[in-house]
Amino acid sequence: MSKTYYLPQSNEVELFKAAAGMNLPVLIKGPTGCGKTRFVEAMGEELGRDVYTVVCHDDLSAADLVGRHLIDENGTYWQDGPLTKAVRNGGICYLDEIIEARKDTTVVLHSLADYRRVLPIDRTGEVITAHPDFMLVVSYNPGYQNVLKGMKPSTKQRFISLTFNYPKSEIETEVIVKESGVDENIAQKLVAIAGEIRQLSDSDIQEAVSTRLLIYAGKLIAHGFDPYQACIHSIVESLSDEEDVLTVLEKLISLHFIKSIHV
Amino acid sequence: MDEKVGKFWDHYVTKKASRLFKGEEVTFAEIAKGLKLFYHLLGGAKGKELHITDKRSIQTSRTLTEKFSGTGKTFFLAWQDEKGIYLPASLAYFPLKTHNEMHYYWLIAMLSNVTVNTQNISSENTRASNLLIEKYVGFREFYMYSHCYLCEHYPELTTIEPSLEASSVDNYPNPLWIYPSLSSSNKLLSSDDEEEVHRQRDEENKTETLKMKKKSEQIDDKKETDGLLLFLPESIMSLMEQVRVDRQENDSFDEDALYNAEDLEEITLGQKDANLSARIKMDLDISANSVEEYPLGKGHFIDEWDYKKELYLKNYVCIKPIVSLHTEPIELPKRLEKMMRTIQSELDLMELDRIKRDNLPYGDEINIDTWIDYKGNQNRSNHLQRFFQTYERKMRDMSTLILADVSLSTEAGITQEIRVIDMIQDALMVFSESLYRLQDRFAIYTFSSIKNTKVNFHIIKNFKEQYSDDIRGRIHAIKPGYYTRMGAGIRESAKILEKQQSANKLLLILSDGKPNDVDRYDGRYGIEDTKKAIEEAKKMGVTPFCITIDIDAKEYLPYLFGRNSYAVIRDAKKLPKVLPEIYMNLTK
Repeated sequence: MSKTYYLPQSNEVELFKAAAGMNLPVLIKGPTGCGKTRFVEAMGEELGRDVYTVVCHDDLSAADLVGRHLIDENGTYWQDGPLTKAVRNGGICYLDEIIEARKDTTVVLHSLADYRRVLPIDRTGEVITAHPDFMLVVSYNPGYQNVLKGMKPSTKQRFISLTFNYPKSEIETEVIVKESGVDENIAQKLVAIAGEIRQLSDSDIQEAVSTRLLIYAGKLIAHGFDPYQACIHSIVESLSDEEDVLTVLEKLISLHFIKSIHV
Repeated sequence: MDEKVGKFWDHYVTKKASRLFKGEEVTFAEIAKGLKLFYHLLGGAKGKELHITDKRSIQTSRTLTEKFSGTGKTFFLAWQDEKGIYLPASLAYFPLKTHNEMHYYWLIAMLSNVTVNTQNISSENTRASNLLIEKYVGFREFYMYSHCYLCEHYPELTTIEPSLEASSVDNYPNPLWIYPSLSSSNKLLSSDDEEEVHRQRDEENKTETLKMKKKSEQIDDKKETDGLLLFLPESIMSLMEQVRVDRQENDSFDEDALYNAEDLEEITLGQKDANLSARIKMDLDISANSVEEYPLGKGHFIDEWDYKKELYLKNYVCIKPIVSLHTEPIELPKRLEKMMRTIQSELDLMELDRIKRDNLPYGDEINIDTWIDYKGNQNRSNHLQRFFQTYERKMRDMSTLILADVSLSTEAGITQEIRVIDMIQDALMVFSESLYRLQDRFAIYTFSSIKNTKVNFHIIKNFKEQYSDDIRGRIHAIKPGYYTRMGAGIRESAKILEKQQSANKLLLILSDGKPNDVDRYDGRYGIEDTKKAIEEAKKMGVTPFCITIDIDAKEYLPYLFGRNSYAVIRDAKKLPKVLPEIYMNLTK
C-alpha cells in the first residue's frame, strides 16, 4: 500500500506523536480543505494504528458511535459501533466535524477523553477499558457563526488542540505539485491566486479557497484542460453564487491565466 | 444667435480636442461593487471606501486645439488617502470597452501596490507597474497594449519617462499612474476640542456618501462666534467662492449647494457644526403628536460596573420602562413587501429543515432500532414500547430579544431622505415578520439614556404579546432618544431573557456606535461596563450578539463580544435585509 502523502506545516507531527504516546486526546481546528483528515490518516499509518472515521451530522446518535443491537435468525446480537471498536482493539477514532453532532451526543466521549479512559455501554452493562493504542481525535471548522452549534466547554477542555491553517505558499506549492502532477510554475500561480482570494473577509465571501480546490484545479490542468477554464470550474464557481463576486474572481483568474479565445 | 454659434463652436472644438471614446466608456458606477471586491482581493485595507474623484488641475503643455477648447487642463486622476481611494468617474481612453474596464482594475491594482508622494511619482509608479506586469500575465498584456496606445495617441506622454523626477508633475499625467493625495500637504484639522457629542457624530459621518470628493482646503472656522459679517462690504464679493458645504451634518445640504459644489473646483470645508437645532431638541424634546409615552411605574434600580474602583455601584442606574400608548396600528408597509417575499423564500428553506423525534409511543414510522433494543432487553416493560419516530417541523427551542439602540445618533442621515432610525424601524418590521412566520418566540425593546438617572427602556413587544398591527404601530412610533448607556440596556434585557424557559436565549443588540452617555459613561468606562454586562449575560446562559452599522466597530466589538459574536454592516440601507439573514445563519 502506498503511503499517504502528508507534508508537515509546523510541529503538528511531533505534537501528535507525543499525544499518542501519552494517551492524550487531540482536537484539530481548521478551515475546510486544509488537510485535517489527511493528517489524521497519515498519522494513523505512521503510528501503525487503524483509523475509524465517523463523519458527524446532526442526526448522529450515541448509538451510532457506541453500537446497537441487531437482529438475525437467532435473535438479537450486539454490534459494536466505530468508537467501541477502536476502544476494544486499539486505533484512532476520528470524529470529523464534531460540532455538527448535537452537544448531548458527544458527552459519551467524556469518560474516554480524560484520565479514566473507559467507555461504559449502558445497553449491555459493559464497561470497557480502552486499549493502550486507543486514541481519540476530533476536528471541526471554527469558521461558522452559530449560536446553536459549537462544542460544550466541558467537551472542549478535554483535548490538546492543534490549529491548522492553509499551508505556507512554498509548502502548498509542493503539495499541489505532488498531488495533482502539474508543473511547479502553474502550482505557484494557483497558490498566488489562492493567496489573493484568502484576503477577502467573511462579508465578501463565505470561506476562502481550500488547498483541496487548488489540487482539483491542478488535476484538471494536468489532464490537459485550459488553465483558465480549469480555475473557473474548480475555484471560482465553487466559492460563490453571487454575480458580483463571480465576475471579480473571474477577472482575477484572467489576470493570471490568459483566457483562450476559441473556447 | 451668437450664443448658438458659440456653443456649436465650443462643442466642435471640445470634441476635436478630446481623444476619448465616449461610446466605449466604462463608468465607475457600473462596476463599483466589483472594484471594491477586487481591491480586497489584492489585500487593500477593508475600511477604505471607493469614491469618485473630481478633476484636478495640472499645469501641462497642451496641444493647440486643447488650448482653444479649454480641455486638457484638468484631469481625472486616481489617488488615495487614509480614508479611501478615489477613481475617475468614467474611463474612455481606449477604443474598446474591455480595455477601459481593465483600466479600472489596473488602477485598483496599482493603488494597492504604491505609496506615492510628490517626490517619487514616477519611480513608484514604474516600480508598481513592473511588479504587476511581472506578476500577472493579464496585466502584462494590457500594459503592453495600453502603453503603446497611449504613447502613440498622446505624444505628450512620451516626455515623461522615468528619468524625469520632480518635474513630472507638471507634465501630462499618465492615466495609468497613481497620483499623490491632495490632502497630504494640508493635514486634516483635528477636532479634539469639539465636544464629545460631536466627535461621536463625526464618526457616523464617515458613512456619508458625498460622491464628489473635492479639493478640501480646510479652513478653521471654529472660532467664528456667530453669523454676523464684520467686514467691509467689498470683501463680501470674495465670499461668492466659499460655499459652505456642511459635512458635519449630512442630511441638510440642499440641492443648490451640491450643484454649486460640482461646478466649483475647490470647496472650502467648514468644521463648524451647524446642527444646533438637534442639540436644543434633545433637551426640550416636546412630543408634539398624540402618541403618549406611558411610564410603567417609577422605574427600578440596577447596578453598574466601575472599572476604576473594580466594584459594582449598587442600584446606581435607574431603568424606566415605557410603553407608547395610542399608536396607530399599521400593516406591513408596501415598500417592504418585496423584501419580505425574498426573505420568505429563505425562510421556506429553513422550514424544510425538519427534525427527527425518536422514542415516541405513536408516530409516522417505526424505528427499527428501538424495536430491536426492546427485543434485546431483558426487561420488557411497557414503558419501553416506544417504537415510533416522526419527522416534525423543527420547533426551535429559542427565545430572542432584540434590543435596539435608538440614541440621538440614529437621527443621522444615510442619504438625504433616509435616516438611520428609519432603517432600524424597517429592519425591526421585517425581522419581526420573519420571526413570526418562523414561529420563534421574540421580544423587542429599545433603549436610550440621559445619565444614570434616566435610562428609558421602551417596550415594543414583550414575549407574551402576539405580533400584530399594534406592534408594527409601535415600531413605527419609535423615535431617536438620547444617549447609549449600553451596559444598562444589556443587563435589563438579560434579566428578561433569563426568565424565559427556552434552551437557547439570544440577545440581539442593534447598535450604531460605541456606548456613551453625557456623564463619565464614555470611552473606557462605558466599554468596561458594557463588557461586564455582557459577561453577566453569558453567565445567565444568554448568548449576546451585536449587529452594528458603525464601520469602526472592529476596534472595540471584538473586545466586548468576542470575535465571533458580532457583525458589522457597512451599508445601513441593507439592515432590513441582512438582519433576518444573520438571524437565520445564527440559528440554522
